[in-house]
Amino acid sequence: MKNLFKFFSSLKLTVVLLAFSMALIFFGTLAQVDTGIWKTQKDYFESFLVIYSVPQQAALYDYLHWLHIPLPGGYALGGLLFINLIAAHITRFKMTWKKSGIFMVHFGLILLLLGELMTDLLSVESQMPVDEGGRSNYSQAFRQNELVLIDRSHPDHDTIHAIPSKLLKAGKTIEVPDSPLSIRTVSYYPNAEIGRATNGKAVKSPATQGAAVKMGIIVNPKEEVFAENTINTATAYVEVLGPDGSLGIWLVSNVIDDRFPPQMVSLGDQSWEIALRFTRHYYPFEVELIDFKHDKYPGTEIPFNYSSEVKVHHNDSSKNQKALIYMNHPLRYEGLTFFQASFANNDKTSIFQVVRNPGWVLPYISVLLMGLGMIVQFGIHFFKFLDKQSSK
Amino acid sequence: MAIKYQLPTLCSIAAASLFVTACDSAKPSSYQIPKETREVSMPTPPAAETQAPAAPNGMNVLPGMKEAAQAAGDLKYRVPEGWVELPASGIRKANLRIDDDNGSAELTVTVFPGDVGGRLANINRWRGQIGLDSVTAEDLDAFTESYSISKHRGIIVTLEGGIDSIIGGLLPFHGNTWFFKLQGKTDTVLASKEHFKAFLDSVELPDGHH
Repeated sequence: MKNLFKFFSSLKLTVVLLAFSMALIFFGTLAQVDTGIWKTQKDYFESFLVIYSVPQQAALYDYLHWLHIPLPGGYALGGLLFINLIAAHITRFKMTWKKSGIFMVHFGLILLLLGELMTDLLSVESQMPVDEGGRSNYSQAFRQNELVLIDRSHPDHDTIHAIPSKLLKAGKTIEVPDSPLSIRTVSYYPNAEIGRATNGKAVKSPATQGAAVKMGIIVNPKEEVFAENTINTATAYVEVLGPDGSLGIWLVSNVIDDRFPPQMVSLGDQSWEIALRFTRHYYPFEVELIDFKHDKYPGTEIPFNYSSEVKVHHNDSSKNQKALIYMNHPLRYEGLTFFQASFANNDKTSIFQVVRNPGWVLPYISVLLMGLGMIVQFGIHFFKFLDKQSSK
Repeated sequence: MAIKYQLPTLCSIAAASLFVTACDSAKPSSYQIPKETREVSMPTPPAAETQAPAAPNGMNVLPGMKEAAQAAGDLKYRVPEGWVELPASGIRKANLRIDDDNGSAELTVTVFPGDVGGRLANINRWRGQIGLDSVTAEDLDAFTESYSISKHRGIIVTLEGGIDSIIGGLLPFHGNTWFFKLQGKTDTVLASKEHFKAFLDSVELPDGHH
């Protein structure tokens, strides 16, 4: 036990962990070329173990294809560094004024690690495209999907019953909250190609309801893609169950979206629209895009500025706000951060990255603490030195 | 000295509570939102276009479209001289073909519920099909004219592209929108404008409202 404690508090461990961190960042950067930033982040930094292999596109693949390098992932390194630092404090450090600076630096570091963990676990990212002159009160996460049943019968509001697609596991039944329905997943495809069978050909499809039956829609499952600017066509066959049994099996897919007439599920005189769509986050406010600017250097196509002039219309009008969003100058509003992410539609549409990160302030505090700690520590030594000089 | 043991305790409590809160992220939920209109107020981001459904017959026919087309009933029309009538199929209510010295063009009649995104969106969709850039509402007058179709107020849209062109009729009709689209080689399409108008004049839509 004592040896274990000694191991975890040793400075050697710190050095080894820092060395591994550097290696992880190096190989993680290489891997991004192949798999895109989103998957790399999941594989390398939000994991405990990762194995690097040379990507097929690499110039040296023919010589190095046998090479697989196991590395501790971000969670393993961060967790061990965290334990290491705390163990060191318990065994070696004594809280004295002389070392208060070091304590501040270390506490800042702990906060930084915790902040990073909090960001990984709790932050939610999504995108909000808005047309010039248009408004939007929700954002969409293009890497996540949800099965929704929408009740539009009320004159004042719509009721949305949402089930995250993570829960759509073949054979599993899930109750739809606040409704008499439940959903049994027949099959779920993270990515698929959807098309229409040519006339005359029999289609093997589990669907018994909705458009899929009448139209002869076929589904070809495909491999999930992760590269930037790619989107997976999540598709599922779901059986809707009422209190008295099955109402039928529908085909739902995130390409069958708002552009098309809704698929309906009916039970008695109640009815719901059923759809699989990108996970939406609704807000109690609307973002209006007044103007999007895409400035280029005169005479060239090289952009030097993207900016969006927006007005936020809150249900509570005292919270209305105007803002100009541009590079490194996001709008922070109601715990959300709106970054200028992209644009489309001949510069008529601006796309914002909407980030909810409850831990966003932690890195700032930790960096402040570490800076202050260093000043204090240096100051203590400096004044001690001055004292010695003057007493000579 | 007490702080020596408080710090790690605090930190482990914080870390533990983070793991606990992270576990309940995926749960079914139910909530209310302000009444939504079905029009698409948000464009699909550019990335989504890379994964558009690939229909084997080259047309993006999606669930619900065919039922809607069937519910709208059938139309009557006269086939102009020199045009060939093809069988209606899928969501097409009518399908005609013209061949002349310059090339060929095809007239299709389709119907969809609602306004299908509105006049501007539909015209821009057509413009996109023949390689023209989108326009704004102010520009519409330049290539649209109002035209009566089946005794209701519709419009004719003339879109002259490079290789291909479109002359189209748009008619909002008792909650549906009818599309009459003549698309093909520019010379063929432009030369057929009078025939196209004659075709529109002959159209009688199923009208249960009068």
